[in-house]
Amino acid sequence: MQVTRRVFTSGLAAGLAAPALLRGAQAQGATIKFGQVVPITGPAAEAGKYAMAGAKIALEKVNKAGGVLGKQVEIVTEDDQTTNPGAVLAFSKLATNADIVGFIGSIRSTQVHAMAPDILKTAKPCMFGGTDPTLTKLGNPWLFRCRPNDSYSGRVIAAYGLEELKLKKWGIVHSTDAFGTNGMKALAGALEAAGVKPVVIQGYANQSQDFTPVVLALKQAGIDVLGSYFTFENDLGIFARQLRQLGVNAPWVGSPSIVNVTALKLAGPALYNTFGVADYAEDSSPEAKAFADAYRGMMKVDPDNQSSWTYDAVNLLAAAINKAGKTDPQAVREAMLSIKGFKGAEGEYNFDQNGDGLHGYNVVQNKSGKIVFSKHIEFKD
Amino acid sequence: MDLVLQLLFTGIGIGSVYALVALGFVLIFRATNVVNFAQGEFSMVAAFLMVIFAVDLGWPYWLSALLSLGGMAVYGVIFNLGVYYPLRHRTYLPVIISTIGASILVTNTMLALYGPQPQVLAPVFETPGFNIGPVYLDSQYLLIIAVTIVLVAFQYWFFEHTLLGKKLQATSQDKEMASLLGIPVAAMIMITFVYSALIGGLAGILVAPILFVSIQMGGTIALKAFAATIIGGFGDVAGAIIGGLALGVIETFGAAYVSVPYKDGFAFLVLVLFLVFRPQGLFGERVAEKA
Repeated sequence: MQVTRRVFTSGLAAGLAAPALLRGAQAQGATIKFGQVVPITGPAAEAGKYAMAGAKIALEKVNKAGGVLGKQVEIVTEDDQTTNPGAVLAFSKLATNADIVGFIGSIRSTQVHAMAPDILKTAKPCMFGGTDPTLTKLGNPWLFRCRPNDSYSGRVIAAYGLEELKLKKWGIVHSTDAFGTNGMKALAGALEAAGVKPVVIQGYANQSQDFTPVVLALKQAGIDVLGSYFTFENDLGIFARQLRQLGVNAPWVGSPSIVNVTALKLAGPALYNTFGVADYAEDSSPEAKAFADAYRGMMKVDPDNQSSWTYDAVNLLAAAINKAGKTDPQAVREAMLSIKGFKGAEGEYNFDQNGDGLHGYNVVQNKSGKIVFSKHIEFKD
Repeated sequence: MDLVLQLLFTGIGIGSVYALVALGFVLIFRATNVVNFAQGEFSMVAAFLMVIFAVDLGWPYWLSALLSLGGMAVYGVIFNLGVYYPLRHRTYLPVIISTIGASILVTNTMLALYGPQPQVLAPVFETPGFNIGPVYLDSQYLLIIAVTIVLVAFQYWFFEHTLLGKKLQATSQDKEMASLLGIPVAAMIMITFVYSALIGGLAGILVAPILFVSIQMGGTIALKAFAATIIGGFGDVAGAIIGGLALGVIETFGAAYVSVPYKDGFAFLVLVLFLVFRPQGLFGERVAEKA
C-alpha cells in the first residue's frame, strides 16, 4: 500500500488519540478510583500510616455496602515525603490519571496551600484535613474540609472557659508561627466578642528550651484560666512542667496538641486535669465509637484525628458521588454541598458554600492521663 | 527581686548547657583548627543511647550513663577516623563540609531508627526540685551547674598538671613542633575527639530530661554553643564557659524584660555585636598578636 500524506496524517492522529480513548474506556471500567496524597516517607511517615488506615477502613465499609455507582472503589496513593514540593509532585502524578474521580489531600495546611493551584486546574473534588481557616476562602471550589477549622477552636476554647468554667481572667500562650498566631487571634477575638480582654498574651518561638519568663509573666498577671496554642509537643511538655513547678495551677484549655499521645507521654502528670479541644473524640458519638472499634481491630492502637478525617473523607466522597449519580466533578461538588447532617467519626457534616464540613469541636479532659469526653460545642455559622 | 533570682537561676542553668557544648567546640577547634558542625549531634547521640539503655532495656541509670559515655568514646574514635582523619592534610574547608555531612547523616539515621517523636528520659533525681524562699530550684539544673563546675576544674587540672594534657596543648599549638618532639600527633587528635565527644555526650545526657530526646535537640543547643564560643573568644576554654553562661543569662533576662518571641534574637544580637566590635571575643588574642 502506498502511504499517502492523508493516510499518514490519519494514522498519526489515530496514534495520538488512542491513549486518550483507551483511558476514556478505562474510566468506564471496573472500579472507581480515589487518589490519596499521604506522607509515606519523611517525619510524618508514622502519621501517614494512620491516615491510610482510616481511608482503608472507610473503603472496606463503602465496598461492602455495594460500592459507588454499583462499582467497587479503589484508592491510589502517592507519597508526599512530608514536604510541600513532595505534595505538589504527588498530586500532579495522581492528577494525570484520568480514572481518578476525587482526591484525599493532606492534613497539613501548608501542603494544601501548595497543592491548591493544581487542584483548581484539575477541577475535581479534593477532601483535606488542614485547619488553616484561609484555605476555604481561596475561592477554590474543589476544596472540602473534613476537620473543623482553627477559627472554631478559638471560639470553643473561649466558650468553654467562659460558660462552663465561668472564668474571666485569661492568659494566652501561643507559638509565633502561622498556626499559633492565627489561633491566638481567634481566641482573643472570641473573648473580646464576649467582653473579656485577656490580661496577658505571651508568644514564644518554636523549639524554645526554657519557658521561665513566660510562666513568670502569667504568674505576675494573676491569671485564673489559661488558653494555649502549641505547635510542637516538646515545647508543650517543657512549658507544662515549668508552669506547674513555678506554681501556676489555673485551669488550662489548650489547642488539639494538648491531648495528643506524644504530649501526654512527654508532660505526664503536668497535664493532668487540663482541657483540650479535639476534633476527634471516641465517646462523642456512636459513629466515632464505631470507627474507634474498627480502627483498633486493624491497627491495635488507639485512633486519633490523623485517621478519623481520612475515614470521613472517603465516606463523604463516596456518598456525594452516589448522590450525584455520576462522577462528573461539577455534579459531585453540588452533591457534596447539599449533604446535610452526615454523621461522621469527626462529627456531623453540613458543608457550607466555602467547603467547610464541620462547625464545632469537642472539649475533652485529661483525667490522670486518660482522655475523657466532656462536651461538644457547635456553632451555626 | 524574686523574679530576678528565678531568672538568674534558669539563665545559669541553661547557660551551663551551652557552656558544656561550647567546650567541645573549643577543644576540637584548638586541636584541628576546624569548627565541628556535628558537635550538637554528640549530645543527641548520647541522649538516644540513654533512651536505649535506660528506657528500652530498663537498665539502671548509672550503668546506662556509663555505657552511653562509653558509646560516645567509641563514637569519637569513629568520628575522627571517618570524618577528620582522611582529610587531615587538606585545608579547613573540606573538613568543615565533612562535619556538616556527618551531622546530616547522623540526624537522619536517628530519624530512621526512632522517628520524629521526642522520647522521654527520666531525671536523675526523683525530687524534681524544691523552693528556697520564693525561688524554685530545678534539681536537674542544679546537677548541670554542679557538673559544669566540676568539669571545668577537672579540665584545668588535666591540661595544666598532667603530661597528657600538656602533650595535647602542645599539639594544638604547633603540630609540626610537637611531632618533632616525639608527640604522636594523630593519637593526640584522636584523644581530643574522644574527649570532645564525651563532654558533648555528657551535656546531652544531662539536658535530655529537661528538653526531651529528639533529633533536633543537638542542632538547637549547638547553635547557641557556637555563639557562646565566639563571644568567649574562639579557642579559649575559659571564654567558652563564660560565653555560655553569659548567653544563657542574657537571653533569659531579654525574654523576661523585652520580648519572649525574640529570645533567640538576643543571643544572636550579642553575637553580631561581638563580631563587629570585638571579633576576637572576650578572651581571644588579636589575630595580629597570635601571628
